[in-house]
Amino acid sequence: MSEFFLELFSEEIPPNLQISARENLISNFTSFFEQKKINYHKNYSALSTPNRLIIYFESIQNEVIENSKEIKGPNVNVSDEALKSYLSSNKITKDKIFKKKIDKGEFYFYRVPKKKFKTKSLLEENIPDLLTKIRWQKSMKWGTYDLYWGRPLKSIMAIFDRSTLKFNYHHLISSNKTFIDKNFEEKTKVFRDFKSYKRFFYNQKIIINHNDRKKYIENKLVKITKLRRYKIFIKDKLLNDVTNILDRPNIITCSFDKRFLNMPKELIISTVEFHQKFFLVYDRNSQLINTFYVVSDCPDTNGLIKKGNENVVDARLTDAEYFWKKNKSKNMIKQVSLLDNINYFKGLGSYLDKVQRLKKIGGLLSDEFLISKEKVELACTLSKVDLLSELVNEFPELQGILGGYFAEAQGFDKEISESIKDQYLPSGPGSVIPRNNYSIALSISDKIDTLVGFFGLNIIPTSSKDPYGLRRLAIGLIKIIIHNKKNIKLKDLINFSSQVYSAQSINFNNKIVIDKITSFILERFKYFMKEKEIRQDIIETSLIDFKLDNLLIIYIKAQKLNKIINKEIGIDLIKNYKRSFNILNTEINKIDNENFSNVDPALFKSNYEKDLYKKLHDIRKDFNNIKIENDYDTQLSLLSTAKKEITNFFDNVIVNDGDEDIKKNRLLLLKLVCKTFDNYLSFAKLETTK
Amino acid sequence: MVSKKKNFLTFQNTIFNLQKYWSGIGCVILQPYDLEVGAGTFHPATTLRSLGPKPWKAAYVQPSRRPTDGRYAQNPNRLQHYYQFQTIIKPSPDNIKKLFLNSLSVVGIEHNKHDIRFIEDDWESPTLGAAGLGWEVWCDGMEITQFTYFQQMAGIQCNPISVEITYGLERICMFTQQKKNVFDLIWNDEGTTYKDIFYKSEKEFSKYNFELANTESLLTKFEIFEREAKNLTIHKLALPAYDQCLKASHVFNILDARGAISIAQRSGYISKIRDIVRGVGELWLQDEY
Repeated sequence: MSEFFLELFSEEIPPNLQISARENLISNFTSFFEQKKINYHKNYSALSTPNRLIIYFESIQNEVIENSKEIKGPNVNVSDEALKSYLSSNKITKDKIFKKKIDKGEFYFYRVPKKKFKTKSLLEENIPDLLTKIRWQKSMKWGTYDLYWGRPLKSIMAIFDRSTLKFNYHHLISSNKTFIDKNFEEKTKVFRDFKSYKRFFYNQKIIINHNDRKKYIENKLVKITKLRRYKIFIKDKLLNDVTNILDRPNIITCSFDKRFLNMPKELIISTVEFHQKFFLVYDRNSQLINTFYVVSDCPDTNGLIKKGNENVVDARLTDAEYFWKKNKSKNMIKQVSLLDNINYFKGLGSYLDKVQRLKKIGGLLSDEFLISKEKVELACTLSKVDLLSELVNEFPELQGILGGYFAEAQGFDKEISESIKDQYLPSGPGSVIPRNNYSIALSISDKIDTLVGFFGLNIIPTSSKDPYGLRRLAIGLIKIIIHNKKNIKLKDLINFSSQVYSAQSINFNNKIVIDKITSFILERFKYFMKEKEIRQDIIETSLIDFKLDNLLIIYIKAQKLNKIINKEIGIDLIKNYKRSFNILNTEINKIDNENFSNVDPALFKSNYEKDLYKKLHDIRKDFNNIKIENDYDTQLSLLSTAKKEITNFFDNVIVNDGDEDIKKNRLLLLKLVCKTFDNYLSFAKLETTK
Repeated sequence: MVSKKKNFLTFQNTIFNLQKYWSGIGCVILQPYDLEVGAGTFHPATTLRSLGPKPWKAAYVQPSRRPTDGRYAQNPNRLQHYYQFQTIIKPSPDNIKKLFLNSLSVVGIEHNKHDIRFIEDDWESPTLGAAGLGWEVWCDGMEITQFTYFQQMAGIQCNPISVEITYGLERICMFTQQKKNVFDLIWNDEGTTYKDIFYKSEKEFSKYNFELANTESLLTKFEIFEREAKNLTIHKLALPAYDQCLKASHVFNILDARGAISIAQRSGYISKIRDIVRGVGELWLQDEY
């Protein structure tokens, strides 16, 4: 067993590319070893710094032995010509083959002798291929070379059992040395094993293992924060980014002027964490304070780095503050008319047109939610004013949020400012979902108006392209409805939105819009239910009678069914339904056009039929009971009470009676069973649990 | 050429030193292009010369105009007119990082005393139909340079690959001169400041760009430039046609500053310019092989 490690030295590779290259390398190498049946110890890893991609296997088998084996060739009766071509294509001579009888007849065989492969040679032969197999999300060329890599690849160090693996990869030749000065690429050093390699860098305070580096940074940040009795909320994405843009971490405590804390905290977070990749600090009450940590890539021997970084943050915050002061007091109401100067979208009017439409839709929703129509309409009217501000131009990721702050600064009601802040929510997976009715009203109005407008113009996302983020909007709508248990009549709302457009002389083919949006939302809804881990057949079956207006009910029913599907009650329900359904399916022609209400009790011959009929009748009556109408658990247990009657029926009654009338009547009875179950939701696509 | 009186480089010495440095590397030292452009990249010495197989090395200062960045001279960090120093080398040399880091020393940034970082910044110019991979270079958290390997220009794959290094001269001097306000920068040994030279123009152009530029006539101008460019392309005049693209592009930028173009319309205008630039690029290439 021997140690193997490979270092690919390049100019600085961005974090995301490092991460995916590490994953690719590991899976390429392990599957190569498995394919070649080379054993390797479970201690292996892919590591990275911005300049170094490293793959390390603690111990690998030195050679693999391929046992001798017999290989079957063509039948002995094959023509001479075919045999010849068989021999030549397998590169064997006639004296190497022999005849052998097996079950299927007599065949030619040949024996492949036992073979030994040196892992070293296999690696030398195959590493170039394994490197080419890395799937870069983005790759580039440089100079005159033909190689594609994340950033220019400069050297390859490949060591197996303390000696060099020799191979060529494009214009590069592997060796046992690497650059130890990442910037100038002038000094090289020879390495023979991973331990000394790691130690060499460790002695220079360079941590080549990204996991160790991440932990080191995190621990340090937490430790110095605790010492000061402050709090820190480390975002994993930020920590990962920081970890992967340096290799020699050093934490510097910096601060900015306290006066900036008077600005919306989102501006500070965006500036310091999002743009500069520094860490913010909070006091014991979780209020933002003016301290931040810079993780630098080298020690700050004379304080220049601290000063420089503080200056940058100061400059950026000054810029934000300049706009904040300028924009916040600019009268929002007076600016509304200026929205007419910004086109919303070609064919959909200006932003002024848009907010006028939102006002109408919001007004309708306010009636439904029993909230102040006046406030909702005002929120709609003001919702896009922040687009006129320089601040949103600078911080596009904060649009809406900043509008909310402007409204707050100008003394509008809290419901109004909050709903403006929340209008674009939910913004993605894991995002906050609007909770209060004012926010919900504005958020839904905005999403419906956008969807209807774009679908009206027939701008519909394709499988690969969704430039206007319409999928996210549709998923957002679904989430708002489900999480807030709002039974919103989407179809009506879409119709209404279409009318609002047409009042502005923007006319769409309403039927096409409805149809397309319906199937678009249906797809997103499927995806949503899948994410909620609802079983696939329940999703399918619950969507048989899909209506846009019923999203919430469909979801609740599917979810309740999902809960019991693997329990006895669920298994029985499906079994009983399926027995009836399957017989009906084979006899479908006989009763296809017959209404199940035509079951004729006079034709019943046994009590089993009568009992089942009566039971179904009772269940159907209960289903109409106002108390049970919205109680889906009770509905399911109600259906399950028919178990005894259904079982008895199937155990004792033969549907296929000689008398056609009786047979038909029994089929109708089964149809009644299915229709009764379908009152909950169509069971047709459910599958029996194995 | 460090000033004797002060221990930092003046703005103009910074330029001289960069010119001298890159001249030493073998670059042609050019003068700024004489049209309004948004960045040094738009200079034909970069856009057009990065196409085709012929080696090319050049460096130049380019005054750059970004109407939306104007702040009426009230902001210490933002200008609608500023200077870039641009280096373009085709094919990109293997030791370009070293060449770059050494160039920082000539403007007074000792790379071993500062935290120099190469932060992912994949550059794309939809207007030029151009894309490249590279970094923004941070010095103690401040972006001082863009470093890009062009992969595509005018919609055409580059081969060989050029490397472009764009220094933000004001940023660099604010850093080396330790100024918090761009207007306090020292331009020459006489102590002339940036404010002395540009304060008035920043104020006036901000007013023009944001408030007074006549959007209707600009929209008409855009169409005229577009038509002219198309006509010149038909007559196979790559460089004059390209000039028209630059003019159209600048008009577009002012319209943008005036808020006269919605997010949705933007892509329409951009693709108009890109289409002409692509035609120009193809024309240019015809003479390069």
